[in-house]
Amino acid sequence: MTAALPEPGRAGIGASSLRPDGPAKVTGTFPYAGDLALPGMLHARTLRSPHPRARIVGIDTSAALRVPGVAAVVTAADVPGVATYGLIGLDQPVFAATEARYAGEPVAAVAAVDARAARRALAAIQVDYEPLPPVTDPEAAMAPGAAPLHPDSPGYGPGGDHAGSGHPNIYRQIDIRHGDDPDLVGDVVVEDTYVFGMQDQAFLAPEAALITPAADGGIDMVTATQWLHSDREQIAACLGLPEELTRLTLGGVGGAFGGREDVTLQIHGALLALATGAPVRIAYDRVESFLGHPHRHPARMWFRHSATRDGELVAVQARVILDGGAYASSSVAVIGNAVTHAAGPYRVRAAHLYGASVRTNNPPCGAMRGFGVPQVTFGHEAQMDRLADALGMDPVELRARNALKAGDVLPMGVPIPGPMPARELVELVAARPLPPPLDPASPGVASGLALPGGRPAGADPARVRRGVGYALGIKNLLFSEGADDSSAARARLELGPDGVPRAWLHTACAEVGQGFVTIAGQIARTELAVEQIVLAPADTAVGSAGSTSASRQTWMSGGAVRGACAAVADRLLARVARALGLPPSVVEAPRRVLSLRDGEIIGPEVGARIPLAEALADGPVEAEYTHHHRRTERLDERGQGDAHVAYAAAAHRAVVDVDLDLGLVRVVSLALAQDCGTVLNPLSLTGQVEGGTAQGLGLAVMEELVTVDGVVVNPTFHDYLLPTIADVPDLDFVAVTYPQLDAPYGVKGVGEAPTGTATPAIVAAIRAAVGRDLRRVPVRPADLVMPGPTASAGAASPGGAETIGEAETIGGEDGHAG
Amino acid sequence: MTGTTAALHRPGTVGEATRVLAELGDADLLAGGTDLVPALRAGTRRPRAIVALRRVLELRTRGVGADGIVVGAGVTYAELAGWAPAPGLAATARAVGSAQIRNAGTVGGALGSANPRGDLLTFLTAADAQVLTCSARRGPRTVPLPDFLLAGRRRGELVTAVRIPPTHGPQVFLKIGGRQAAYPALVSCALVVDRADGRVGCAFGGVAATPPRARAAEQFALAEIDWSAVPTGARAQALARRFGELVTEAARSAAAQLPEGPRDPADYRWHAVGVLAARALARCLAAPAGAEGPAAEGRGGGTVAGS
Ligand SMILES: Cc1cc2nc3c(=O)[nH]c(=O)nc-3n(C[C@H](O)[C@H](O)[C@H](O)COP(=O)(O)OP(=O)(O)OC[C@H]3O[C@@H](n4cnc5c(N)ncnc54)[C@H](O)[C@@H]3O)c2cc1C
Repeated sequence: MTAALPEPGRAGIGASSLRPDGPAKVTGTFPYAGDLALPGMLHARTLRSPHPRARIVGIDTSAALRVPGVAAVVTAADVPGVATYGLIGLDQPVFAATEARYAGEPVAAVAAVDARAARRALAAIQVDYEPLPPVTDPEAAMAPGAAPLHPDSPGYGPGGDHAGSGHPNIYRQIDIRHGDDPDLVGDVVVEDTYVFGMQDQAFLAPEAALITPAADGGIDMVTATQWLHSDREQIAACLGLPEELTRLTLGGVGGAFGGREDVTLQIHGALLALATGAPVRIAYDRVESFLGHPHRHPARMWFRHSATRDGELVAVQARVILDGGAYASSSVAVIGNAVTHAAGPYRVRAAHLYGASVRTNNPPCGAMRGFGVPQVTFGHEAQMDRLADALGMDPVELRARNALKAGDVLPMGVPIPGPMPARELVELVAARPLPPPLDPASPGVASGLALPGGRPAGADPARVRRGVGYALGIKNLLFSEGADDSSAARARLELGPDGVPRAWLHTACAEVGQGFVTIAGQIARTELAVEQIVLAPADTAVGSAGSTSASRQTWMSGGAVRGACAAVADRLLARVARALGLPPSVVEAPRRVLSLRDGEIIGPEVGARIPLAEALADGPVEAEYTHHHRRTERLDERGQGDAHVAYAAAAHRAVVDVDLDLGLVRVVSLALAQDCGTVLNPLSLTGQVEGGTAQGLGLAVMEELVTVDGVVVNPTFHDYLLPTIADVPDLDFVAVTYPQLDAPYGVKGVGEAPTGTATPAIVAAIRAAVGRDLRRVPVRPADLVMPGPTASAGAASPGGAETIGEAETIGGEDGHAG
Repeated sequence: MTGTTAALHRPGTVGEATRVLAELGDADLLAGGTDLVPALRAGTRRPRAIVALRRVLELRTRGVGADGIVVGAGVTYAELAGWAPAPGLAATARAVGSAQIRNAGTVGGALGSANPRGDLLTFLTAADAQVLTCSARRGPRTVPLPDFLLAGRRRGELVTAVRIPPTHGPQVFLKIGGRQAAYPALVSCALVVDRADGRVGCAFGGVAATPPRARAAEQFALAEIDWSAVPTGARAQALARRFGELVTEAARSAAAQLPEGPRDPADYRWHAVGVLAARALARCLAAPAGAEGPAAEGRGGGTVAGS
């Protein structure tokens, strides 16, 4: 099952190598996890609670078992191991047992000879629900004295350390106090509340897994995931299996964006495979995919920014409430990110930043590209524009003036590590050429294609107004707050069957589309001077690579591949040095005189020039390496600590056209300047930042998973709209490439930063076009043209800005973490 | 794959199809499948039998006669999109979905689904369309579109075609939705002008359970506009504005309002159909008389058409 990379020529790091899986993906032959099949496999389907909250009085599966073709039905009663699982804390039942806590929560699963019989069996399962009133407002859920929504939930954090939030429905709260007087207020003050809707990762290939029970009592699972080893740990615990018997291999992943960081159908499918002794294919359809994985946290945020009259930011106060939904997922970490980024990429003398992630009966929320940062970036950037307005200052100048530079002290009391070219970025985007004004004679305007709403909306060019907006943001890279999310890789230099030297690489890094398969080959070519690369399938037979998230894999697994390859090279060179009879001091440090270049080992000073094939004739050389990033710290009770490994900054400029009569928006142009570190593959980089920008655009103007009383009402691509090629303009992208000194080759992660800034830049441009305060994303047409409350945050903030804004109530009476 | 257990029938003629329908009593018709297949997959439709219409070639014809344009139920949006004799239908068809949907989706399917946001329904309502149906028991029948939509498809009945009376004047279809292209309509508005007798047909979709006609606005246009001396400039603007206001009023007072959606509060819908109607009238006023036809499509390309 290994695939040689059909790479033309040798392309090491720095080249725009093409994806090895690109042709298969664009021609439709790439096997995604959902395409996997085995003879005799059973088909599994999931039964979900229709109620956002209901007591489960009884489940009767007897009729379902009598449906012809049904092989097994499993419920909570059939879970042999731990009854609950979770990414950070184990609070989510494998199946709802006594109470369903969100609409869409799995209650049972069925395996049958075909999907039709499985579906029929689902319909035959009798679940006796006693509906309870759902709590869907996070403010109500976190109110003092509110009844616990999951009283038997185990501790939420690693070692339960986050559990002491002081409120049963608060996953975690953080209260950062920075400066001599955290509640200091400058001369010019702006404050407001902001609402952020629920975005979905909306990856194209729905969840799927194929599970085969093995003769040794274990299972072999092929699944599309972001983190094989985390899945394995949770699956094994729930199945009551040792981890060695729980073997996972990565299936083809069609997008992830955070939505595959949590376990979804894996345990259900494994239970059915073990119950039936047959291979089981379990898969979601589009609707189930929308219900089955955690989403991006909706947020309600209050900010108060103040500055001196000449535009120096004095203080930021914030209160950020994230709706975590029914189960914890990564809510404890997401709120950490949100609060530590709430002041944005700006130097502030004082800050008081409070945030909480809250349990409700809404769908669970967890990881999505940006991980808590897009929410606050929308807020702080809206505030910066407000402040610029209040000061009569240019918004770019205000940002540039206050932009963090390396060494500036963050609200967590530690200096921000460099490089941190925030100021340069915002100045760079501002200097990009603007698109030409709307030209009524141009074909795009004449046809309507280039007008808001496209052709069928028939906008009148005279009633279209243009706006320009900016946003600057930072995003932390890698896992934070003390996590050692290391990555392991194995490399081997060997002779292929054709006698040609090649590098064989093995990691558990999940390729979810980001291009690790390309980068890994480039790194091995650079380190080992070979052309041919063989990439073993990612699986749990090698050490954990950590998650494909947090902008971390090029740095972490790239670092692991580099380390493993370097160790292989060292060993081979030492072997050659020994064979050449060089002194022990050289054998110990052979790179002093020998090096690998273009398929040869050369040592001009010792007259050595040995083809790699010859050096490998004695056998292959293999090494394993685990890459760690620098250690970080937990936040203390005042929110102080060195929590994040590193940061990347990004700045967007958006230009939009708005139909003033209908409130339709067309994004005309987007410019991005991003702090990228060393660029290993310019093409891959462009793909990442274009994708991140498009996802931010979707959130700005269209993407929202809407719930009514806890029930998702638009779980299809007919109703949940994603940007099309007609919606996303070409990106004018400038990469700023100061190397990150503590990262392999000086890289920075690049996937997340642009997602956070695209949204606020677009909203700022819309504000500039229509002259309204827009406090909510996605921006809806009605927000732009209808009078009154539709334009505001609406019912967003019970209590209003006045009460929640009071410094004393930030964090509340019992508002201290730990 | 579709999750259905229904038996599939594939008649070759309308007669055969109606006989099969009569025998089965309860069956779903399958045309392009763009609405039915998702419903089968979601389990919201669970028919015992499915009658597939693709082989019924009679349904795939279209033509122009003295009493108007007749389009078979099996004609797809893609086939309509470039059809010169019916520029208004063509403009509407071009506004539907994506190329894939236009290739598969049919006129009969649009009537069968009767989605209140269906683009074609809005246009056909404005164009005074008649629906031609056939059943084994009663034979062929012709009903005005609003009556068909109100009563719904009868058991055992097949839509065979729609007929639009001949008109001579510009026809406009406009719609808005959540993005720049390939979107379902939030609201839509269609305007069909007959310059000969000054009549204007105006319908709007996405507001009520079926597309209402804006009668007061139509009356206003009939009374105020002399199509042989079409007003221009400020007068044209004022007419368009007032026309739009009347359509907004019609929308506000329409019966059977659709439930509000998160992106479209009712007052926004009323407002938006008025804006679209005003734009549509402005386009009709600006369309040069006599020079109609596909070549005369003005600004907005796919959406203004003359006949
Ligand atoms: C992604 C997507 C985008 C879409 N975008 C749009 C859009 O922009 N605008 C728009 O208006 N619509 C849109 N639609 C809806 C759809 O394409 C139309 O409603 C289409 O006209 C249905 O035709 P069909 O041939 O596919 O019907 P089918 O799905 O085959 O059938 C639909 C219904 O009509 C019945 N039916 C079919 N033929 C007949 C007949 N001859 N007599 C009586 N009943 C019949 C069927 O039993 C069924 O109930 C979209 C759909 C999808 C999936």
